[in-house]
Amino acid sequence: MPEIVLDRVSRIYGKDVRAVSDLTLEIPDGSFTTLLGPSGCGKTTSLRMIAGLDMPTTGTIRIGDKLVFSRDQGRSLPPAKRGLGLVFQSYALWPHLTVAKNITFGLEVQHIGKTEAARRLEQVATALQIDELLDRYTSELSGGQQQRVAIARVLVMEPSVLLLDEPLSNLDATLRMDMRAELKRLHHDTGATIVYVTHDQLEALTMSTHIALMQGGELQQFAPPLDVYSRPANKFAADFLGNPRINLLEGSIKNGRVRCVGLELALPSGIAKPDNSAVTLGLRAEEIRLHTQPKAGTESARVTAVLPTGSDWYYHVDMNGQTLTVRQNDAPQLQLGSTVHVEAVPDPVKLFSADGLAIALPQNHSEGV
Amino acid sequence: MRNAYNRFRLGLTPQSVLAFVFLIILGYLVIVPLFLMLRETFLIHPLERFQIPGSSVGDLTFAHWERNFLSENAYAFFYRPLLNTLRIALGMSFLALAIGGTLAWLVVRTDLPMKGLISNAAIIPYIMPSWTLALAWITMFKNTRIGGDQGIFTALTGVVTPDWFAYGLFPITICLALHYFPFGFMLIGGALRNIDAQLEESAELLGASRPTILRRIVIPLVLPAIFSTFLLTFSRGLGTFGTPAFLGGPVREFVLSTSLYANLIGQRPGIGYLAAVAMIALGVLVLYMDYKIIGTRRSFVTISGKGARAGLVALGRWRWPIAGLVLGFIFAVIAIPLTALAIDTVMLRPGIYSWDNFTWHYWVGDASLTVGLGTGEPGILRNWQLMSALGNTMKLAVVVALITGILGILVGYAIVRLRGRWVAQALDQMSFFPYLMPSIALGAIFLAMFAVPRGPIPSLHGSFWLLVIVCTVSYLPYAVKAGVSAIRQVGPELEEAAIMVGASWWTRMRRVLIPIQKSTYFSGMLLPFISVTRELSLLILLVTPATQLATTITLRYTDRGWYPYTNGMVLLLVIIVVTSTVVSRRVMGTSIAKGLGG
Ligand SMILES: Nc1ncnc2c1ncn2[C@@H]1O[C@H](COP(=O)(O)OP(=O)(O)OP(=O)(O)O)[C@@H](O)[C@H]1O
Ligand SMILES: [Mg+2]
Repeated sequence: MPEIVLDRVSRIYGKDVRAVSDLTLEIPDGSFTTLLGPSGCGKTTSLRMIAGLDMPTTGTIRIGDKLVFSRDQGRSLPPAKRGLGLVFQSYALWPHLTVAKNITFGLEVQHIGKTEAARRLEQVATALQIDELLDRYTSELSGGQQQRVAIARVLVMEPSVLLLDEPLSNLDATLRMDMRAELKRLHHDTGATIVYVTHDQLEALTMSTHIALMQGGELQQFAPPLDVYSRPANKFAADFLGNPRINLLEGSIKNGRVRCVGLELALPSGIAKPDNSAVTLGLRAEEIRLHTQPKAGTESARVTAVLPTGSDWYYHVDMNGQTLTVRQNDAPQLQLGSTVHVEAVPDPVKLFSADGLAIALPQNHSEGV
Repeated sequence: MRNAYNRFRLGLTPQSVLAFVFLIILGYLVIVPLFLMLRETFLIHPLERFQIPGSSVGDLTFAHWERNFLSENAYAFFYRPLLNTLRIALGMSFLALAIGGTLAWLVVRTDLPMKGLISNAAIIPYIMPSWTLALAWITMFKNTRIGGDQGIFTALTGVVTPDWFAYGLFPITICLALHYFPFGFMLIGGALRNIDAQLEESAELLGASRPTILRRIVIPLVLPAIFSTFLLTFSRGLGTFGTPAFLGGPVREFVLSTSLYANLIGQRPGIGYLAAVAMIALGVLVLYMDYKIIGTRRSFVTISGKGARAGLVALGRWRWPIAGLVLGFIFAVIAIPLTALAIDTVMLRPGIYSWDNFTWHYWVGDASLTVGLGTGEPGILRNWQLMSALGNTMKLAVVVALITGILGILVGYAIVRLRGRWVAQALDQMSFFPYLMPSIALGAIFLAMFAVPRGPIPSLHGSFWLLVIVCTVSYLPYAVKAGVSAIRQVGPELEEAAIMVGASWWTRMRRVLIPIQKSTYFSGMLLPFISVTRELSLLILLVTPATQLATTITLRYTDRGWYPYTNGMVLLLVIIVVTSTVVSRRVMGTSIAKGLGG
C-alpha cells in the first residue's frame, strides 16, 4: 500500500484565490489520515488534487513510487490510473442506474469479465450489507444505504488508496456513529491507505491514525491525533481541537515562572525564555481543578454557570475578568455565584509565544507544575 | 520551451478543445456573415448598375445608404416599413403579453377548473405555423375590392369588410398576438410558479388584500419575467415575415422583412441588405435593453419557493364561466382558422359556400385547366411537387433537430464546465446571437456568404446542406439553452465519479450525462423540429426549385391566388407538427416549455 507525497503543492483559482498554498505532506503507507480544518480551508481541493480531478498550480504529487503530477514535466496521470477510489460528499450515485449497475459500471468500463465482475459485486455487497438492494434505483434508498453503495462502488475497483470527502456529513447522529465504526473496520480489513476529509474534530480524533490540520489553505500540523491534542503546534491547533474549547490565558514569564491572569506555575525544565517575554498558556477544561479552599498557586474565581452533562460537570468561572471553562467528573456541588480557587494542572504544559507558535518542550517531558 | 509545451498539454481537456472548436465554427457562421452583409451595402450589384449612373458591378459606393436614408424615396424604402415594423412589434407584444399573462395568472394562481386542458391547449397556437392565422384571416375576411373573391364572413353576412380590417397592420398585429401569446403564458406562468408562497402569505398576515398583494408583491416579483418575455416577443415581431407577407402584400403595406425580401429578389439588393442591417441593429438594441434593464434584476425571479402552493384565489361563482370563456377563446383561435382553411380546400369555386360547390378536387383531383381554378395542377395528395416539398421539409426538420440537439449538448457541456472563463462567456453569447438576428436577415447573410466558393468552402447555393446549416445556426440558441440547463442539473460530481473509474469522455457522455437528462435533450430537439416544419422567412431566400419546402412552395401558390392548395398544405403541416409534439411528449416526456428553458 503506497504512501502519498505532496511536495509544495499550491492551487490558485483565478488570479489570487489561494485555495491551497505550499502544502507539503507525507501521508504514510496504510495510514488513516484525516484532513481536518474549518470550512473553506482547502480540504476538498487537496483531496481532488490527489485524486487527479483538479491540478495543482505548482508542486508535485507522488503516490507510491509513481510521480502522478508535475506541471513542469507535463505529467498528470488520469485519475483511474492512480489506483485510488473517491467517495464524494454528495455520493454522486447515478440516478438512472440500479445499485448493481452503479457498482459494476467501473468494472465494465475497465473490461473486466462478467464472472469476475459478478464475484466482486457479490463480495462487496455482502461486506457492506447491501445485497438486498441491488435491483433498486438509488433514489429509492435511505441516506445510509446510499452511502454504503457509494463506498461499494469504490471498493469494487479494489483501490489501494481510498479518498473520502466528508462521507458522514449527510447522516444523522446515530447512523454516523455506526458508520464511523464501520469505516474503521474497513480500514483494518483492506489495509488501504485512507485519506479522509472532515471538519468534525471528534471524527478526526476517533478514527484517524494521523491528522493533517489545515487553515486558510496552509498546513498547521501533521501528527497523530493525541499528539495534536496534547502538543498543538500553534494556538490555532490548540483552539480548533478539543471540546469544550481550550482556555487561552495571556501572561508573561517572571523569574522562571509563568504568570497568567493571577495563576502561577513553574516553567518546565529545559525551556529557556527571557524574563518579561509575553506568552500564552493553554489550559484544557480537564486541566483545571477547582477547590473550595485556597492552596499555594491557586487563584480565586467566581462560578458563573453550572452545566451538568450527565457524566461530567462543566463550570464557567470568572477569574480576574476572564471566563474559564472547567470540566470535573466528580461533583463538588459548587453553587452558582460561589467563590472557588482555581488550580492549573496542565499535562503537558502548552505555552505559545507571541507569534502564536508553540514553545517546544524538550522530548519526553511530562508532569507540569 | 519544453515546459511551456508541457503546461499547454495539461490544459487540453475535452471541454476546452470543444470550446475552441466551436468558437472557430461559430465565429465563421455568426460573426463573419455580419461583416459580409455590411459590405454588401456598399457594393454595386448587377441590376443596380443601371440605376446608379456611371457605376459598374462590384464598385464600392455610398449610393445605397444615401438612397435608403436621405433620398426622396427614403420614406417608401425605409422609414415607412420601419415604422410599420415597430408598430406591429409593439402592438402585438402588448396584446400577446396581456393575453398570455392573464391566462398564466388564471392557471397558476386561481382555482380555475380544467387547468390541465387549458395549459395544453394554450400552447397549440404557438406550435402552428404563425401564418396559419394569416391565411385563415384572409380566407375569412378577404374582400373583393382588392380583386378576387369574397371571404367566408362576407358570404355569410353580406357585410363587406373594409380594407383596414381585411389587410394590413391591424390583422397582422392581431394574428401575431394570437400566435405569440403562448410564449407569455409559458414564461410568465413559470415565473409565477417560482414565487415563494411565503412571500405572499406574510403580506396576507399583515392584512393586505388580494388585489394589493397582486399589485405590490406578485407583479413586482414577476416583472423581470414579464419584461424579458416582452422583449423576446418584440424581437420575434421585428423579424417575422410570413404574416406581413400574406396580409400586407395585397395592400402593398411593407415591414422591414417584407421590404428586404422584395428588394433583395427585386432590383435593389443594396437596399435590401440595408434593411437587414437595420433589423440586426434593432435586435442588438433589444438585447442591450434586456441587459441594461433586466440584467441586474433578473436574479430574483429564480428565487424559487418550495413546498405547496398555498391559497389559490377563489373565483367563486365565476369559476366555470371564466373557464368556459378561456377555453372558448383558445378553441376559437385554434379551431376557427383551421376550419376556415379546411372549408376553403373543399370549395370548387372560391368564395361560394354551398353544398353543391363541395369537392375533393384540390386534394385528390386530376390536373385540369378547366375545373375549379383551372390551375393545371393535380390535387395536393397526388401532386409530386407538393409532396416532395413536404418530404424535403420532413427530412430537413429531422436532420436539423438531430444536429442542433447534439450541438446543444456539446456546446452546453463546454459552457457549463468552463464556467467563469472567458471562452465560456464568448461561446454563450455567440450561440445566443442568432436569436437576435431576424431570420430573413440571417437568410440574406447566408445567401451572400455561400453563393460563391470561399477558401476551402465550396459554393453551397441551392444545396440541401445550406438549408441545414442556416437552420442549425438559427435554432442553436434554443438547443444550447436546453443543453446548458441539462448539464447544469447533472452536476459535475456524477461525471467525476465516472472519471474516477476510467470512463473516457465519450463513455461519460453516452452512459452518464445524456441518459440522465434524456427528456431535456429531446425537448431541446423538439423546438427546432417544429420550427423547421413551419419556417418560411429564414429559408425563403435560400431555396431553389430542387430544394423547395412545404412552406416556401406554399408562398408561390399564394402568389398565384391558388389558396386551396396553400391552405391544404398548411393543414397538413399543422397535423404533422401537433401530432409529433403530442407523440414525443408521450414517448419521451418532452415539453416545449422545457425547450424554451422555462
Ligand atoms: N472552482 C473554484 N473557483 C474559485 N475558488 C474556489 C473554487 N473551488 C474552491 N474555491 C475556494 O477555495 C477555497 C477552498 O475550498 P475547498 O472546497 O477546498 O474548501 P473545504 O476545506 O473543502 O471547505 P468545506 O469544509 O466547506 O467543504 C475556498 O475559499 C473556496 O471558496
Ligand atoms: Mg469540502
